[in-house]
Amino acid sequence: MVELTHGFKIDTTKCAGRMHCMRACPTQAIRVKNGKAHLIPELCIDCGSCLQACPSRAISATTISLAELDDFKFKVAVASPALFTQFGLNDTPAQVGRALLDLGFDAVWEYAVDIELVNRTITDCVQNWPGPFPLISDSCPVVVRLVQVAYPSMVDQLLPIDVPREIAGREVKRKYSRELGLKPEEIAAIYITPCQAKSISILQPAEEGKSYLDGAIGISEIYNDILYRLLKDGSKSKEDTQRHFLESGELFHWGNPEGEFPNLSREHYLPLSGLTDIIKVFDDIEKGKLKNIDFLECHACLGGCVGGNLTVENLYVARSKDLYLKANMPKPTPAFEAEVARRYASEDFSMRSSIRPRSFSRDVLDLRERVIRKKKSEEIQKALPLLNCGLCGAPSCEDHAEDVAYSRAEISDCVFLSKSRIDQLRRVYKKGSRANKR
Amino acid sequence: MAAELLRESYEIQGGNFDKAGEISSEIKVILRDLDIEAACLRRVVVVAFEAEMNVVMYARRGTLTLILTDKDISLEVEDEGPGIPDIDLALQEGYSTASDEMRDMGFGFGMGLPNMKKNSDDFCIESEIGKGTQVFARIRLNSHG
Repeated sequence: MVELTHGFKIDTTKCAGRMHCMRACPTQAIRVKNGKAHLIPELCIDCGSCLQACPSRAISATTISLAELDDFKFKVAVASPALFTQFGLNDTPAQVGRALLDLGFDAVWEYAVDIELVNRTITDCVQNWPGPFPLISDSCPVVVRLVQVAYPSMVDQLLPIDVPREIAGREVKRKYSRELGLKPEEIAAIYITPCQAKSISILQPAEEGKSYLDGAIGISEIYNDILYRLLKDGSKSKEDTQRHFLESGELFHWGNPEGEFPNLSREHYLPLSGLTDIIKVFDDIEKGKLKNIDFLECHACLGGCVGGNLTVENLYVARSKDLYLKANMPKPTPAFEAEVARRYASEDFSMRSSIRPRSFSRDVLDLRERVIRKKKSEEIQKALPLLNCGLCGAPSCEDHAEDVAYSRAEISDCVFLSKSRIDQLRRVYKKGSRANKR
Repeated sequence: MAAELLRESYEIQGGNFDKAGEISSEIKVILRDLDIEAACLRRVVVVAFEAEMNVVMYARRGTLTLILTDKDISLEVEDEGPGIPDIDLALQEGYSTASDEMRDMGFGFGMGLPNMKKNSDDFCIESEIGKGTQVFARIRLNSHG
């Protein structure tokens, strides 16, 4: 089995074992052993809930820094539309784009084209899709991973279309290698990301291929640098060679949970955001509900990508900027329309390979053995208090029982079953409390 | 004869739309945790859900039994209800005896039994008017389960 990479790392020297992450994890992927948090990689969907929950700030996103880009000869920023919602009402996308150039990027990609291309492709796909319904959007990597881990029977409902950032990465390499005579690997296509999940989708795409992008930089990492340049830039001049590129940054649609697909019937299209609601809705879909919905657009972060965990601005402030930008969106220029038409006719937007469920025991154990473990786990559960106190290091008694059945834990890790466990915890956490008082 | 690995029975309460779907959800979770292959899991859940809904809609009570062997998954449903007068007709897509009330709730489009049959490798149904209906559905596992 391929080892799974994840979009964040847990710094064990900072981790105080306080279990906030373990309790926040929607897929029960975290265990706390000997006062330190660990990940069960197969269960993690990179939602980032643990990042926000950690009181010790021990969990950080795996993104890259600007300094790491120096190896490339030509650096292109593909900025999530969420980036432009992070600054003041009068800071235009064009100015934010120019700040990116000042930061060391050689070009800012006209991402609105890719977004428009994918929106068109999605509309076509939904209208011609034979079923099963509803189709589920694949732009949020957390949603894709949630389906792979918790809703394996729904993988065929994931949109079989590549995401705009990948389409952009492919075209970045194609265009600049042709224009500048560079090798594709000398060109960096860097996504400016509102969340760590998109970073992981670049490091390890769910469809097991290779990403066209070379990495992701979190919005929060470059926020101050951009802000500084926006404050300095009082002239508001737009004499930039890339002027039309930057202005079309104002033409974005993607990244919030409403109205991205004007050609889809409102009756059959449902946008939703927030992992808790998504899980509820997916449960209902498995029960056969929502039969009249053709397309579900799902974003794991509440409010969509503008609420991503690597954004800086409060979600609602960002939303208001987003609405302001949309209300004042310029009409697409003929050049923009022509570029969309040219690429729509010549490119293939389908997913390079299919997304499969993430299976974790099938490779190792046959069905008979899996049933035995399941029964064992049910037996073990009967001996547990069902209080879900978490002191064993698993988020619930059910998880602890399963860990024991799969030999990942000792049943005696439960404080109700072993007196020495409480002494052991006392030793581990005394150290923690002294360190905190410092 | 394939060896039986797991057997679970569930009581279904007729007319209880509040809880409708819970049993098929529970079956889904069990089979998912057993890492049953996705396509097969999907079919089982569809059959279980339709079976459960049929009992909820028409019968006083019923039992759904899940049987897992190393070769296949079977669902046996037995209910105490009005029975089906014409099984061939009931198996036609779009044929329904559901009340307007049921349709308002989004059920009873005449796809239940046809859908169960379509998603099963073996399917049989027996019914006695005034007594009840028994449905048996079998879904084969692929080679790796």
